Amino acid sequence: MVQNSSEQHRPLTVPEEWRSGVHNRLTEISTDWSSDQDAFKNVPWGKAMMWIFLVSDTFIFTCFLTGYMTVRMSTTEPWPVPSEVFALTIAGHHIPLILIAIMTFILITSSGTMAMAVNFGYRRERHKTALLMLATALFGASFVGMQAFEWTKLIVEEGVRPWGNPMGAAQFGSTFFMITGFHGLHVSIGVIYLSTVAFKVWRGDYQSRGYEIVEIAGLYWHFVDLVWVFIFAFFYLW
Amino acid sequence: MAHVPYQEALPLHEPKSFWTRYVWSQDHKVIAIQYTLTAVAVGLVALVMSWLMRLQIGFPGSFSFIDPSTYYQLVTMHGMIMVIYLLTAIFLGGFGNFLIPLMVGARDMVFPFVNMLSYWAYLLSVLVLMASFFVPGGPTGAGWTLYPPQAILPGTPGSDSGIVLMLVSLILFIVAATMGGLNYVTTVIQARTYGMTMMRLPLSVWGIFMATILALLAFPALFVGGVMMLFDRLLGSSFFMPAVVSMGKMLDYQGGSPVLFQHIFWFFGHPEVYIVALPAFGIVSDIISTHARKNIFGYRIMVWAIVSIGVLSFIVWAHHMYVSGMNPYFGFFFAITTLIIAVPTAIKVYNWVLTLWQGNIHMTVPMLFAVAFVSTFTIGGITGLFLGNVVIDLPLSDTYFVVAHFHMVMGVSPILVVFGGIYHWFPKITGRMLNDTLGQIHFWLTFLGTYAIYFPMHYLGFIGMPRRYYAYEGYQFIPESAQDLNVFITISALMVGAAQFIFLYNLAWSAFKGKPAGSNPWNATTLEWQTPDTPPSHGNWGDRLPIVYRWAYDYSVPGAEKDFIPQNQPPAGENPGGAATT
Amino acid sequence: MVIAVALILIVIGSVWFHFWSPWWLTPLSSNWSLMDDTLMITFVVTGFVFVVVNLFMAYALIRFRYRADRRAAYEPENKKLELWLTGLTTVGIVIMLAPGLIVLADFVHVPEGASVVEAVGKQWQWKFRFPGKDGILGNTKPRFISNQNPFGLNPDDPNAQDDVLISNSELHLPVDLPIQVLLRSYDVLHDFYVPHFRVKMDAVPGIISSLWFTPTKIGRFDLACAEYCGIGHHTMRGAVFVEDEGSFQNWLNNQPTFAQTIAKQTIGSENSQVRQGRLLAEAKGCLGCHSVDGSPGAGPSWKGLLGKTETLTDGTTVVVDENYIKTSILNPNASVIKGYSPIMPAYQLTDDELNAFIAFTASLSATNNTADNLVSKGKQLAEQQGCLGCHSLDGNASAGPTWKGLFGKTETLADNTTIIADEAYLKEAILNPNATIVAGFAPIMPPYTFSDEELNALIAYTKTIQ
Repeated sequence: MVQNSSEQHRPLTVPEEWRSGVHNRLTEISTDWSSDQDAFKNVPWGKAMMWIFLVSDTFIFTCFLTGYMTVRMSTTEPWPVPSEVFALTIAGHHIPLILIAIMTFILITSSGTMAMAVNFGYRRERHKTALLMLATALFGASFVGMQAFEWTKLIVEEGVRPWGNPMGAAQFGSTFFMITGFHGLHVSIGVIYLSTVAFKVWRGDYQSRGYEIVEIAGLYWHFVDLVWVFIFAFFYLW
Repeated sequence: MAHVPYQEALPLHEPKSFWTRYVWSQDHKVIAIQYTLTAVAVGLVALVMSWLMRLQIGFPGSFSFIDPSTYYQLVTMHGMIMVIYLLTAIFLGGFGNFLIPLMVGARDMVFPFVNMLSYWAYLLSVLVLMASFFVPGGPTGAGWTLYPPQAILPGTPGSDSGIVLMLVSLILFIVAATMGGLNYVTTVIQARTYGMTMMRLPLSVWGIFMATILALLAFPALFVGGVMMLFDRLLGSSFFMPAVVSMGKMLDYQGGSPVLFQHIFWFFGHPEVYIVALPAFGIVSDIISTHARKNIFGYRIMVWAIVSIGVLSFIVWAHHMYVSGMNPYFGFFFAITTLIIAVPTAIKVYNWVLTLWQGNIHMTVPMLFAVAFVSTFTIGGITGLFLGNVVIDLPLSDTYFVVAHFHMVMGVSPILVVFGGIYHWFPKITGRMLNDTLGQIHFWLTFLGTYAIYFPMHYLGFIGMPRRYYAYEGYQFIPESAQDLNVFITISALMVGAAQFIFLYNLAWSAFKGKPAGSNPWNATTLEWQTPDTPPSHGNWGDRLPIVYRWAYDYSVPGAEKDFIPQNQPPAGENPGGAATT
Repeated sequence: MVIAVALILIVIGSVWFHFWSPWWLTPLSSNWSLMDDTLMITFVVTGFVFVVVNLFMAYALIRFRYRADRRAAYEPENKKLELWLTGLTTVGIVIMLAPGLIVLADFVHVPEGASVVEAVGKQWQWKFRFPGKDGILGNTKPRFISNQNPFGLNPDDPNAQDDVLISNSELHLPVDLPIQVLLRSYDVLHDFYVPHFRVKMDAVPGIISSLWFTPTKIGRFDLACAEYCGIGHHTMRGAVFVEDEGSFQNWLNNQPTFAQTIAKQTIGSENSQVRQGRLLAEAKGCLGCHSVDGSPGAGPSWKGLLGKTETLTDGTTVVVDENYIKTSILNPNASVIKGYSPIMPAYQLTDDELNAFIAFTASLSATNNTADNLVSKGKQLAEQQGCLGCHSLDGNASAGPTWKGLFGKTETLADNTTIIADEAYLKEAILNPNATIVAGFAPIMPPYTFSDEELNALIAYTKTIQ
């Protein structure tokens, strides 16, 4: 297969004898991805950029969670039991992890409304799109509010500080505030981002340009949701 | 052929005011120059620091203002500035910004506004770092690796405020690098011109592209380590801080792990050195090819080598930690992966040399720097093999052998490529040639001088002379003659430092008075030399984007009229766009 | 041309330099000759590559220099050549890596029957500990570390009592016996490195790391810290003396055990009751309000307290005897001394504890030892408390001012006042160092709560260093 000769100016072609099974598919993928102009067909650059940013952000949260797991596994003092720490007593009933469960439900629901917004965006129904985006943002804001309530409860009532807490290992507080803090920051940024885009959608800015921007914002939002699932699993359920 | 690139569909908007053309510019070429000038300026500060350090080592005690505290601050700031704020910034922000859109045939980066923000975030990070000189206690003196617990405990200079500013500056730099990096990667993936397939990209682009991917995946680890250390320092948390008795007092920390920081840091730190090396690999391939009038030997395997080095660089990090007290069995795994990564690297060295074989070599100043790179990088890479093998690292770790190794492989070779690259592309940036005589003088002083500094230094490592020492009195295993060698190295270092001013003068003078270069003085094939204007105007390509018909290395093609065929030259018998000539 | 000639000269010069260089590995004095062998194998393989690559490049630069009538060849790739080169490189890598991994396996497995010694790093000195007759090292914890118990040994651990303690950065070892060095650190990362033995390992606070070797030559070997640990990093030196079994045992027997260091804590004939009293005073936090050296605090100083006549808040006078002290502890606010507020909490001590405390107080009023004991006690203190990690005795610059010729010297302080380093200044500098820093030095010295006797001993010792 002569790829680099001076006569070649069309995209690569694949020899006939290679067109079979796995080799065919792999070669097709490599041909597509290495073809001219763009590696990912019909993917606007903004979407590609958001995906790459999210990969990088994934590494950040992975490093945070790995660091947390390391300090938790090597703790010299007992680690507070999350289901006890994050329990609420409602109407006399002691329910472990209830607030976290509600927060998770809200965030997952918000991903649902976001997906619906993307759908309506591509159908160019801008008012429905904007409203669903605002709903998503509202869910996000309430998530942050509940997280703030959780923080206040831990700080004021339980005396949890980054440098120590009365319930056990000092690192519990520092990892909790750091990880939920960065996640909450991402959610807050998402709320502002979504609200801004929703406002522009409502105004009709994208009617001619196309609604990819809604999908791109949606990607970010789903990422934020997915990170929460991991935090929920590794911090609260473990 | 695929669809019309988005850049064709957008109207071209040229900035009008002085401020939007030269200061708040969204043009990648201007941003590249801004990055480069800032990096060079801060690099000069670090260069002066290295003179002060060498003066103390070569002539101990002669300068009373260099006390142990100041010395360790110099060591730290010199290292951090050179690695991050000079080398990373100049390869990605300088060369990356300038070359990528031109070499892939784009009008600019995909998100020029964010590109501009990335420069200003970088500048801010530099200013925050410089501010650490003016806070009480001065800048941090913890070593560029910033290991806890020492970095935030008394006994280390700058443990009050200096370390805080350093970490904040690094976080800002990471923000800048991410914004820039997203642009570089997305532009290469999604914004090439017609006919520019991935396998027709010049190796400069491949090198910078891969390095940027590494940056996007490795800087998060530095970010996390920095945040955790800031928490430990400012909020009293114990991520990295075990129970310690510091200066007679037992502190409140407990349960943390200093080795955890080292894992996080080196998970970033090792890819970081490839972030510096890979662009150098790519650029030197293009310089050798152009000036030897011969295609790069084994282009495909060069691409695969860049990719595999990048991938492997994520699984070798703990070779910086063989003596850290980590589980000793890890040493087996990391020694194996480290020596495996030597294979694609060695192949690249062979291919550069084989490119020269049967070439038609112009010994221009860029070519001189490229040859010097191959020679010094061979030594630097070879000494890495010593250190990658655990049992050879045990005696040599933390000695001057390591200092010699990383200076050769990061401080000498890539810097030679920076110089070579600037001599090579200066005509495209300014339309004028750099002065050849000054270039030759600069080259010989730099090449021979840096060799004289760092080759003998390995032997100071063999005798066991530890690094990061303010003075060496009272150690019987260090012979008197070692001090003579230190004096020799110091004098060489001062001379090499002085020689750099020849280069700076050349840059300034030639920008205004240099010989006019024309659009393609080296008769190169790559797209950046085929722009309608030199220096390229806003939008780079005039009315229409170029169409690419061939790979980047059609030099000395048998049967061709000239000894090079530009990438956008259609095949004989065709007009641009594919229509046959009548 | 010139560059090719330069490359050839570089190759020749480098090879010549290698063989001429007087700077080579320190003479091996341990069992790790295989490490040196692996190094040589690596040298040979990589040296070969270095020479070949540079010479080949030089040749190509000469033979294929530009000529207008020539064209370069056009050869995009040569798969066969690439494969051969890859294969040969891989072989070279294996030749270097295989012996390295084999020797590493050796290093990772400490031999059966190796003796054990602990090396503790702290800013900026080394301390060592042998397990003593029972062969077991006692437990340590950071919270036990104090001026009186610098190793942080658990006083309740029976295994700790016979541990042999060495505080002067000098380790002795018997020749030809494998030894595992367990590494610990108080404060920051350090690294135990003896170039002649080849091996090194970081000492990490919070974990215990180790290395092992067998010393094979008798002699004195430098110990250097090989992990940057602050401004005293370059002064954190020690020495390892390798000697025959007899001399080693001799030396070991002359070193104090933990039990012995506890017993002779202060200069006076401090017996265990006095010691118990002192430990009580520290543990109960008394020293937060009462000083032992006469300096004022929230409560009266204990220096010279026993037997003193004091005036109480109600105007009456009282002689401070045993009964008064006991009352003051059990029911303090009944008889507060004039000028002090009634803020001391009551402490319910047992009779034994009260008596121990009285004995301790009595020792603070005792008279000094004889003069010549004083200097040697001062020297011992200086070594054990780590002063010599920052203060040299020979005039060399270090983290702190040198003690040579210090007594009576005129110094400029950081606040630009000039003082004479007399007794009063030196005592102040030990008790409250950062208020009296000499210009040009960083304010990092920790305060030391020495008794008056200890301070006098240190000063007596300092006077002798001219």
